[in-house]
Amino acid sequence: MRFRTLVTNSNLLLRVVQSIDKLSKSAMLKLTPTKLHIIVVTDLDSGLQLWSDIAVDALFSEYQIESVHNNEIYLEFNIDNLQRALRSTQGGALGVTLKLTKKQGLPVLSLTIRSQSASGREISLCQDVPVRMLTPQQMSQIREPMVPDGNVHFMMPPLNNVRSIAERMKGMGERVAVSANREGEMNVRVANDLVDITTYFRGLETLAYDTTQEHTADREASEFYTAVVDMKHFVKFLQSYHVAPKNIVCCIVEGYAVMFYVYIGSAGYSGAAALNDTACGSLTYFIPVRQV
Amino acid sequence: MAAVRGTAPEPEPALFRAKLANVRPMVNMLKTISFRPRARCVINPDGLVFTVEESQCLVAQAYLRAELFTTFSYDVQLAEYYRNQEQAGFEAEDSQDGEPSDVTQVVLPLDNLIECLTLFYGPSGTSSSGAQSGAHSTATLHTSGNPGDLRGATTAVIAFNGPGTDFELMLEERGTISLCRLSTFVPEPSVDLKFSHYPTTQQLIIKSEWLRDAFNELDPTSESVSIYIASSEPHFRISTIGESGSTDMTYSNTERILDSFFCNEDQENQYKLSLILKCKQALAMSDKTKIRINQRGFLSFQFMIPTAADVSFVNFVFAPLVSADESIADATARV
Repeated sequence: MRFRTLVTNSNLLLRVVQSIDKLSKSAMLKLTPTKLHIIVVTDLDSGLQLWSDIAVDALFSEYQIESVHNNEIYLEFNIDNLQRALRSTQGGALGVTLKLTKKQGLPVLSLTIRSQSASGREISLCQDVPVRMLTPQQMSQIREPMVPDGNVHFMMPPLNNVRSIAERMKGMGERVAVSANREGEMNVRVANDLVDITTYFRGLETLAYDTTQEHTADREASEFYTAVVDMKHFVKFLQSYHVAPKNIVCCIVEGYAVMFYVYIGSAGYSGAAALNDTACGSLTYFIPVRQV
Repeated sequence: MAAVRGTAPEPEPALFRAKLANVRPMVNMLKTISFRPRARCVINPDGLVFTVEESQCLVAQAYLRAELFTTFSYDVQLAEYYRNQEQAGFEAEDSQDGEPSDVTQVVLPLDNLIECLTLFYGPSGTSSSGAQSGAHSTATLHTSGNPGDLRGATTAVIAFNGPGTDFELMLEERGTISLCRLSTFVPEPSVDLKFSHYPTTQQLIIKSEWLRDAFNELDPTSESVSIYIASSEPHFRISTIGESGSTDMTYSNTERILDSFFCNEDQENQYKLSLILKCKQALAMSDKTKIRINQRGFLSFQFMIPTAADVSFVNFVFAPLVSADESIADATARV
């Protein structure tokens, strides 16, 4: 088993790891010859899940990977550790190398950062992130959830707005009802014995994926699809981004889940246009409907 | 959840409806009395009065006059009609003591009301309009100083359609709308400390900044705070006796400090310090405070808070502590 690469876009890698920091303590990493997958599963039955894939070319160069299992490598890591290691790459590194190796008999992801000191000498900093190797069998048990086709897809309003409102609604209930229609309207509702709040977002961009599906005939465009999910999971997703990307798609699968798709493309595109720029990759958040 | 067409439906009640161009003044007023989860709200043609009480020793009221609102409509006839309906099954003595029938009373969750009004305030724990966070500043209740600052400019429509219905808020900020419904409860007999039933023996008006200084000096380890007002020096003294000693703040009757002063009877009374401290937020927002003590030793603080429409008032009334060697009969015999 061998993994070694130059990291050409450490900033992107750091941002991706930062965006999953709120979700869980640990995550899985699946490395293939062409893609890097980060997976977070908080609870196989009822928890929020994150599945992502990023083209290796978007992050690395001189990428070398070898293993007896289709040249794929699977491991589990502590998100905060990797995040801290990656933060050292910021601020003008000359070169960053990432490799899988053993230190004191235990597997680590080793990050080597070459930079220049104030006096002009080259310094090399090495950060080791302990990891737990996963077998192909363990990895095969982690499967992307089977989700029925979404009922409605639309671009999220500015995430900061939704987040601050949701944070204030958070104390009123454990479940939140997220609804949307095909006319660019999204409602977020929480209720308890004493108070019932619905916040209405309007003027959102809807996406035309649905027109090819058969079920579009059964509801008017103005009617809403609803999924009731755990409030904490909803807020955790919203808190994932300090600098919110403009291209987050929300998909409601009525009675089943709320999904969010964050596309990693070159900067500059926003709205539906960003979805065409899938060169780099995507993160898919899956928030299942909360069983009472 | 029922499908909602177009923009959120506006509440359509007939009894009471008011519009606020900016929720901030109302939020600031309500926060001064928000130390209890529930408040009684009385709606009358002149405005809203929110009242909270604690331990039957403290009653605090915030007066939101109709002028604070952009529009304020209250259907008095409908209120009387509902009132008569309510009264129909009750004996005369069950009716609210002395309340005119054109008034509507309801109990609602005050903490939730404030949370709803502040829904668009921005990240929790901060106030989005750049104004200072209320508690220890002398923030006025005008909208944030910079007219171009649109953050925190939530507009609201408040509505109530009578006993048994929800208290409704429709909030809007920059195109996002929230509809909030608060459960209401039938008011229980109110605790009225009856301050005005006895003659006022002492009264003064002091600039709030002096009183804030005094409050900061109060020893928190002391159970009680003592207030002494006399016609000779020292005219006004606030003291505490705590674990590490005593503190005295005295004020003389000079123009610089006291705007007005009246003392019919030299008196010293004790009050529970933890209750007195509940008025700190109201004090922080006010320019001036009117302090009155009546013949039974009850204390009234009336905080004058500047708002866009002249001055708004928040009142706190405290019952005095009865000293250990004095029975309640003795205390009332002081009358």
